[in-house]
Amino acid sequence: MADNDLVNVKIDGIAVQVPKGTPAIEAAKKAGVDIPFFCYHPKLSMEAGANCRMCLVEVATPRKGPDGTISMAKMPKPQTACSLPVSEGMEIETQTEQVIADRKAILEFLLINHPLDCPICDRGGECPLQNNTIFYGPQNSRFIEEKRHFPKAYPLSKHVVFDRERCIHCARCTRFTDDISGDHQLAFLKRGADMYIDTFNQSKMVSKFSGNVIEICPVGALLSRDYRFKARPWDILSQKSICTQCSNGCNIKLDYRVGRLQRVNARLNEAVNEEWTCDKGKFGMDYVSTDQRLVTPLIRRDGALQPATWSEAMDLVVQRLKEAGKSVGAIGGARCTNEDNYILQKFFRNVLKSNNLDHRLGTYLPPAQSGLHARLGYHTMGNAIADFERMKTIFVIGSDLVNEQPILFLRVRKAWRFKGGRIIAANPAATQISEFADPEVTYRAGAEVALLNGIIKILAERNPSAADLPGYGDFIKSLAGWSIEKAAEESGVSAERIRRIADAIFSGETAFIAGKAVTEHPDASAVIEAICNLAVLSGNAANVNIPVTQCNAQGAMDMGLLPDSAPGYTPVEEPGLNTRQMLEAAADSNLKALWLVGADPVAHYTDADLAKRALGGDTFVIASELFLTPSAELADVVLPVASVAEKDGTYTNCERRVQRIFKAFELSPDVHPDWFVFADASGRLEQPLPYFSARDILREINVTVPLYADCSPQKLGNEGIRWQYPSAKSDLQLVPVEYRPLAKVTVAE
Amino acid sequence: MPETRILLKHRDEPGIEDIETYERLGGYTALRKALGMERQEVINEVKSSGLRGRGGAGFPTWIKWDGIPKNTNQPHYVLCNADEGEPGTFKDRELMLKCAHQIVEGIIIAGYATLSKVSYIYIRGEFVESAKMVRKAIDQAYRKGYLGKKILGREDFDFDLYIHVGAGSYECGEESALMSSLMGERGQPRLKFPHAPLPVIAGAWNQPTLINNVETYSVVPHIIVNGGAWYASMGTQGSKGTKIFSLSGHIAKPGNYEIIFGMPLLDLVELAGGVTGGNLKAIIPGGSSVPLIPAEIAKDFTLDYEASQTVQYRMRTMRLPVVGSGGMMVFNDRTDIVTLMLRTAEFYAHESCGKCTPCREGTRWLYKILYRIVSGGGRPSDLDILMNICDGIDGRSYCALGDAAAWPIMGSLKHYRHEYEYWIEHKRSPLGDNFVPPVPNRLNLNFELLPAR
Amino acid sequence: METNGNEGGHRFSQKSIAQLDEIITHYPERRAAMLPALWIAQREYDGYLPPEALQEVADRLERPLSEVQAVASFYTMYNFRKRGRHHLEVCTCLSCAVRGAYEVMHKLEKELGISAGEVTVDGEFSIAEVECLDFCGAATVVQVGDQYFGNVTAENVDMLLDQLRNSDSHTPVELADALVKIMTPGGSEAAPA
Repeated sequence: MADNDLVNVKIDGIAVQVPKGTPAIEAAKKAGVDIPFFCYHPKLSMEAGANCRMCLVEVATPRKGPDGTISMAKMPKPQTACSLPVSEGMEIETQTEQVIADRKAILEFLLINHPLDCPICDRGGECPLQNNTIFYGPQNSRFIEEKRHFPKAYPLSKHVVFDRERCIHCARCTRFTDDISGDHQLAFLKRGADMYIDTFNQSKMVSKFSGNVIEICPVGALLSRDYRFKARPWDILSQKSICTQCSNGCNIKLDYRVGRLQRVNARLNEAVNEEWTCDKGKFGMDYVSTDQRLVTPLIRRDGALQPATWSEAMDLVVQRLKEAGKSVGAIGGARCTNEDNYILQKFFRNVLKSNNLDHRLGTYLPPAQSGLHARLGYHTMGNAIADFERMKTIFVIGSDLVNEQPILFLRVRKAWRFKGGRIIAANPAATQISEFADPEVTYRAGAEVALLNGIIKILAERNPSAADLPGYGDFIKSLAGWSIEKAAEESGVSAERIRRIADAIFSGETAFIAGKAVTEHPDASAVIEAICNLAVLSGNAANVNIPVTQCNAQGAMDMGLLPDSAPGYTPVEEPGLNTRQMLEAAADSNLKALWLVGADPVAHYTDADLAKRALGGDTFVIASELFLTPSAELADVVLPVASVAEKDGTYTNCERRVQRIFKAFELSPDVHPDWFVFADASGRLEQPLPYFSARDILREINVTVPLYADCSPQKLGNEGIRWQYPSAKSDLQLVPVEYRPLAKVTVAE
Repeated sequence: MPETRILLKHRDEPGIEDIETYERLGGYTALRKALGMERQEVINEVKSSGLRGRGGAGFPTWIKWDGIPKNTNQPHYVLCNADEGEPGTFKDRELMLKCAHQIVEGIIIAGYATLSKVSYIYIRGEFVESAKMVRKAIDQAYRKGYLGKKILGREDFDFDLYIHVGAGSYECGEESALMSSLMGERGQPRLKFPHAPLPVIAGAWNQPTLINNVETYSVVPHIIVNGGAWYASMGTQGSKGTKIFSLSGHIAKPGNYEIIFGMPLLDLVELAGGVTGGNLKAIIPGGSSVPLIPAEIAKDFTLDYEASQTVQYRMRTMRLPVVGSGGMMVFNDRTDIVTLMLRTAEFYAHESCGKCTPCREGTRWLYKILYRIVSGGGRPSDLDILMNICDGIDGRSYCALGDAAAWPIMGSLKHYRHEYEYWIEHKRSPLGDNFVPPVPNRLNLNFELLPAR
Repeated sequence: METNGNEGGHRFSQKSIAQLDEIITHYPERRAAMLPALWIAQREYDGYLPPEALQEVADRLERPLSEVQAVASFYTMYNFRKRGRHHLEVCTCLSCAVRGAYEVMHKLEKELGISAGEVTVDGEFSIAEVECLDFCGAATVVQVGDQYFGNVTAENVDMLLDQLRNSDSHTPVELADALVKIMTPGGSEAAPA
């Protein structure tokens, strides 16, 4: 908003300047004046809000008299500050006798039916109703009638339990399911004092984001079943961290008590998760404090894994690595910090002299300088997560977005719900995006290129200036045999809907998000080339996004856990083996030692049989792990390492944002961060890697990896830093893509 | 002073529900005349008539009409509020039943003046008979070309009128809640000015929306035919023309009476045959929302928008209306004020939409305390609590329903505090055992106040 | 369950579907037809709205289930339990209350052997107290289906019951049908059901 849209307002006599239309409650925040509230939430729509009436204030606006003099006219009724847009000259009073009396009255109303079972309420101690009552409430209750009663602790879903008696009808949760998550699970039934919140016909609450309603509930009505009765808020210590369940990098707080994680709450980061988490993150992080965690090293003796000391284990590891020479490899790192990964690659490249490094477990293992990078100049995401809000159109292709990238899903929905963006989606099967995607088309699995060719064909006709792009001649020739009708027939999407997709892309700036159906496509590189063609042709070359899926897969790439590139994507002279090649070499006994760094190929690699043969054969397998995974069970040495809660470091999320994590607690003195293990091994090989902490390593990364030059511990702060490519790609071109129907495709090498 | 029937002129005319009869009696001449006028002229005529909204608030009608943006291609809507629900009011029901064409004509004129293409009449679901008459009137108007495309040959005037039927909610008579209900949502009020634009700028579906009461639209044809000055020649300084009052309760001839503003309150009671079953005790002059007036001071009141009563809260004095929606309830001296207020409180507790805290919790609390008092559990401190609760609701709630729930209680506490005190002290009515309304038998004051709803 | 050839257990007849399609065209948004659609459902589902009826409305209007239930439960004229063939709704609001509405209510309860909210064993009658029906001039007012009965007293309420016993009219389904016709253009000219 431009400067000339600023207005001058006074809150309790304190003058502030805020953009016109700012809610009075936000202007008061700026003036340092506290206005209590329950239902107000800046991320939720206002229409169903302003209902708790806690934020009533007295307002006066300037009015010009008939003689031209300006006097202040007080509004006859108090106004809710949360919904009142400020205007020039407005004066707001929050401390008058009347306002104080009104707050007391509202709190008395809220408390008459509230059960006051605070001593056994999980919210007690961090409850807005308690806090506001202490500061603004009446001292005692005059209500001697019978309170409203409902069954206590009514389970809404696996994660959420609902105490209807405590509900104060603020509509935050119902608005959340309508405005943010879009699953429309909770709604008010009946009316007046009979009104209550429920799911349809008392069915189970089905939501990917149900945990958020617990956090935004201003009382203890919606509670976590996992956390219930586990701790009191004042017993809890909290540490800033990043969620490890996917690559979105949600900012979270780890709330822990006596060395065990009790719960996870979201931490505000407007650039990433705003203030939301998905249920996978909120309820899935408890793995760090399960009894199955490994706390001692294991060595295979007489065919079975048996406990050993670190010295025994590391001596064995070092001895076998010495014997193996260059015939060593490492798979993993997608779950480790950048610091872990940097030391891992440094240890392998500089000490063991091997480039056999790969963090990927998928089928699509392109060279680092090919694919998206070769075409558009970036490896994964062209846009930042927050950029999706400003897009006119977002085209989601081959992605079950809500499951693969939950936070991207929320941003995409926000673009539609609040910013007027149009969402189109093409998937092999219907997904939750159909709620707002218009249209969401379902194509025949594997026919992405056919569908894209149909869209490209329409856009090529509409955009004559594309003829100037390099490669246009060959490209258009390769499309000669294509018509919309053919695309419709091949893809199973009607010609009319293909036209609608093309119209939407043509209408303005469009972002593309591709997901697993694309990256796991047997001919993934062809699909990606076709997406690039569409992006270049429609002028959206900077807006293609093929986000990684694992927690720090982006950081692992950046840190050089690729067979063909060192940290910062510097090409190496002799590329090593990729994941598939390493597993094949191990299965054929051509690899002497393989280090699994938080990777479980038996469970996660597409060819589980190959993984089993590779790990169960002659190759000496070392597994750095949290748990005894199926792969670790086949290893020769298993080393217990620290989880996200037990170490410092940085993660890089799918949009390349580098964010810090902090050590919350220690599981056992025998559990170390991964980098420490590699440094230890290196030391035992008499080539010490002398680091004291993750900070030291990050400082070295700042120097040796130019892309990370700005990401120093001092600068990262609470928001993190999204590293940038030095320059945008200038030589965009169009490339012919051959469409091979699925049956004819053989798995690419 | 006699009745002055303008809107109800033809109510006893046989066959008035047929368009032919209505036309014979001068119907739709106003529409023809209006279509011959500039749109702004129509609005100016309404302005000069001094017509004020008949729904209860008495807002000048022309300001709404004039506020609809002109020269815009945005769709905009004309709404007719026929969700009459105020206890004691039944004028709209009779207007629809007997004079539906008059309403339809008024709506079409409003549509012409505001350049609208679509209008809705929101009728409460209980009014089946009245709504059938409106349906019939609309169908006939379509057949005659008063509705539909190119009305009366005007190339630039297409206008549709649809009926939207409610389903049982007093709150939907509030204009923004009515719009919520029209849009298919729960009938809860929406943000109002200054929190959101006025309905004439962004109302239903966020488009400019004109909303008026049935009675207001019914006046319009008469203003157009006879001129605004004619209408303004009747009534008082601030209240022009006639108003229909619905008389009920202990009255000899209950029914709708159309009178010129400014008539003394007691004259209207006399007009309706006077009180039955005893002497006059109190009058609720304008629907259950306005405070009652005891017989002793009733002679001081005239029926116009200027008339008001005050109530005193701890920190403020409120001036409350008398005319309201025109639902006049007359009570004889067998009426117990406390049980009457209990029944009033029950109505508002039952009809509160539940959106905002003061109304949702406060109305039910008022009801619970009053019920306790008439059940013999009253305490002297209860009266202060009642006044505090009213203070906490009035002006603090999301919409005017909360205010309307507090006013009658405050009024009764002002005039009849001694009856409350008698109940509290003696645990029975000052009228002995023979009083109306009786104490209802309620098992659970927490849920579904009226069973089976 | 009778399906009328509809998918997914839907029960709307072809006539109802046509009426709903017509009503939807009255509004700029499909969602606005929520109240009309619920009335049609109440007609099709025997005078009340079981969960399947709400499901059908949600499907036909493409709205979330929770929203349909939230809207339906707000309004008191939608029934969630089966009512008697004649559902007697007695106004007990102010004007009626001072003119004997409670006596009428008690008489009905005694006569029918049920209390407010219940249905007689034979399914003939159910009774309820309601708020102001806005026909206060004829207090006490009783609504039965699509019909108002005015000036009811404890003395003449027997006559009303007798009249209803011998009548097939004024059922909850008829009420819903009447309202749907009122919302359908040309409804006044349609032949009575």
